[in-house]
Amino acid sequence: MPTRTHCMKDLYQETFSSIEDIKAHFEAANYICSDQIATCVYIAYNLQKPVMVEGPAGVGKTELAKTTAEILGVPLVRLQCYEGLDEAKALYEWKYAKQLLYTQLLKDKLSELLEGSNNFTDSMEKIHDQEDLFFSENFLEPRPLYKALHQEHGCVLLIDEVDKSDHEFEAFLLEVLSDFQVSIPELGTIKAKIKPLVFLTSNNSREMSDALKRRCLHLYVPYPEEKLESRILSARVPELSDTLRREVVSFVQQIRELDLKKVPSISETIDWAKTLLLLHASELDSATVKQTLNVLLKFETDIEATGDHLRGFIEKAHQKSKINISSKAS
Amino acid sequence: MQQVLEDFYKVVRSAGVKISPSDSIETSRSVTLVGYQNRSILKHALTVSLAKSLDDQHLIDECFEQFFKFDAFQQPSANDAGHGDDADDLTGDSENNPEQAQQDSEPYQSDTPLTNMLLERDHTALAVEMQRAAQEVGLRDIWFFTQKSLYTQRIMQKMGLRDLQNEIRALNDGSGDGDCPSNVAQAGQLRDAKAWLFEEVKDFVEQQLGMYGKTSAKNLREQHLQKTKLSNIEKRDFHTMHDLVRKMAKRLSSMYSKKKKRENRGQLDFRKTLRSNVAYDGILFETYWKSRYIDKPKVLVLCDISGSVQAYSRFLLLFLYSLNDVLNRIDSYVFTGNLISVDEIFAHYPVEEAIDKIIDDHGMGGSDYGTMLLDLERQCMDDIDNKTTVLILGDARNNNLAPRSEVLELAYQRAKRIIWLNPEPENFWKTGDSVMLNYRPYCHLAKTCNTLDHLERLLDELLKAATATV
Repeated sequence: MPTRTHCMKDLYQETFSSIEDIKAHFEAANYICSDQIATCVYIAYNLQKPVMVEGPAGVGKTELAKTTAEILGVPLVRLQCYEGLDEAKALYEWKYAKQLLYTQLLKDKLSELLEGSNNFTDSMEKIHDQEDLFFSENFLEPRPLYKALHQEHGCVLLIDEVDKSDHEFEAFLLEVLSDFQVSIPELGTIKAKIKPLVFLTSNNSREMSDALKRRCLHLYVPYPEEKLESRILSARVPELSDTLRREVVSFVQQIRELDLKKVPSISETIDWAKTLLLLHASELDSATVKQTLNVLLKFETDIEATGDHLRGFIEKAHQKSKINISSKAS
Repeated sequence: MQQVLEDFYKVVRSAGVKISPSDSIETSRSVTLVGYQNRSILKHALTVSLAKSLDDQHLIDECFEQFFKFDAFQQPSANDAGHGDDADDLTGDSENNPEQAQQDSEPYQSDTPLTNMLLERDHTALAVEMQRAAQEVGLRDIWFFTQKSLYTQRIMQKMGLRDLQNEIRALNDGSGDGDCPSNVAQAGQLRDAKAWLFEEVKDFVEQQLGMYGKTSAKNLREQHLQKTKLSNIEKRDFHTMHDLVRKMAKRLSSMYSKKKKRENRGQLDFRKTLRSNVAYDGILFETYWKSRYIDKPKVLVLCDISGSVQAYSRFLLLFLYSLNDVLNRIDSYVFTGNLISVDEIFAHYPVEEAIDKIIDDHGMGGSDYGTMLLDLERQCMDDIDNKTTVLILGDARNNNLAPRSEVLELAYQRAKRIIWLNPEPENFWKTGDSVMLNYRPYCHLAKTCNTLDHLERLLDELLKAATATV
């Protein structure tokens, strides 16, 4: 086992050398990030601190981790949290079936081995001379955290929806996140070969403990502003015409103002744009919007709630895109 | 620079964000990493490192804008970050002096630096000087508004007020001999400048008090509120009170809601058992059972909102509302006579509206505990079992009606605990139309409760008892 833990910083210095660099790399990977996200990634990368990403569903929290892994060219190890998740599922588990099977298979070998020994102590000693075979890595089923610690070239570890996990698991994470090491009673303490870059995502379904929060950088990703959303859309759905893109963005921004059960986020905007593209729509009209609104809004009550506003929204979206065009022309 | 950052942490702390020493160390590292060149990046670096929640983030953003105001500084020669605060104060008033200074035909030379700075209208230098003086006198330790003039005086002294005064006096004395008429003008000008400087320093101190003194004042107020009788708290404190009660309710509930108990019967955890018994060749020596969450306390709250407890009921309802927010299994009822369930109202309206609505719709009138207890028997007795805690908030002033304590006795036998919180002190329980003594034998706990402190202590006991032995 290596004595000194390297960090990702040593290996990928050129890729993430400055905040501007990070922004450029993300943009090249079709992820448009704000200054705040870039700063946060830069600090996390250089100081090797985990990042706790919060925000509404669908604003690209998970995507952030994926893109980071893609840019660095390292594997993404993902641990999805849920209620009842425990060490055995997150870190490692002994393959007991295999262990049992092997003891059965090796029974004969065992008697061979013990041949010639006269008393109990002698046999014991002989067994002890053999290595602790059954509790070696061969019988260990690695789970995401263990895998993340064992990556030769570092990795991005994504602990998704950490707020869904139990308090016990959260406490267990503390050791992993602060020292990047875990203790396995049979094997000893396992240290990360290369400290991974860690992202934790949370939807705030419960308050995380202060101890965990303290160890992380806190990044809140809100719904994007109009400009940013437009850029994201053009990066993700480049085939979309300028007019339609502006209309779509303006429309979605207006819908977000309403009091809805589930406000559409970026992923829904992208899906909707793709849908419109598929339907060969050149601009928003109320018939198309009505047909495709279920892509954007996920609850029947929400769709009903927008009913009266639709016409106004569409008109405003048209106006906005026209203003944009004329201002560009002038 | 370290000092500036530390001052910034102090400001953020006083805005109510918790920053531990390790947080500040890590943040300083982040700041060193990103540097001070780019304002927005510095801000992002500070927020991502210090904030622990979205609320924190907003607070820190606000503090940042207030603390690092160097955008307002119009002179490019502005010194480093810490000296930005007072920039606009000084520039704002700069018109006061110039004309007078220009009247001077031959520039007056003084040997005190403060006078020179004032005469040359060197705002940057003045700002720097003021900041330095503020640091020397420890302005960041300012707590209360009463300290304002003290600190203003101290800063002025540090900046060299005495020399300035001496100089003015000397000029005046000199003019008395008729030596130099320009000295009179000079003295007047310096006096004006002094007054102006005084105003500026006062403004500056006030602004700093706004940043540093926020928590201490707030804490003091909250402490005071906790100990004040609920009936004496004014309506304008309602919001603070709400936050306070919410905080308290939340702390209590999180303290008692996550306990887990290992069962030694129930469902066998086969994997765990097998794994730990591999050593015994598959013979199941040690068994492991699937653990189960214990029940969270089931609480039934009955709150009196009649005329006699009018002063308290707002706060009892407030507390009930907060409790509803944090506990899942709680049934809340209000009564003057009949029991009325208010779970619906609490779920659908924001706090103040809900409370107003309840009091308007059902409040006032004389209380009738007998009817209430009969209603309790009819509506809720089936729900009361050995896991239920019944909490009654009221003064037991029954207007000489039948107390019906036999119903309470029945509930007493069924429920896990019956707790009666009475806003009146115990000596009053036997006076007038109070029937508290009739009810008292059937309560596991009957206590006076008229401050938040009481409420917290009692509730703590309640939740402890509810979770300890299930």
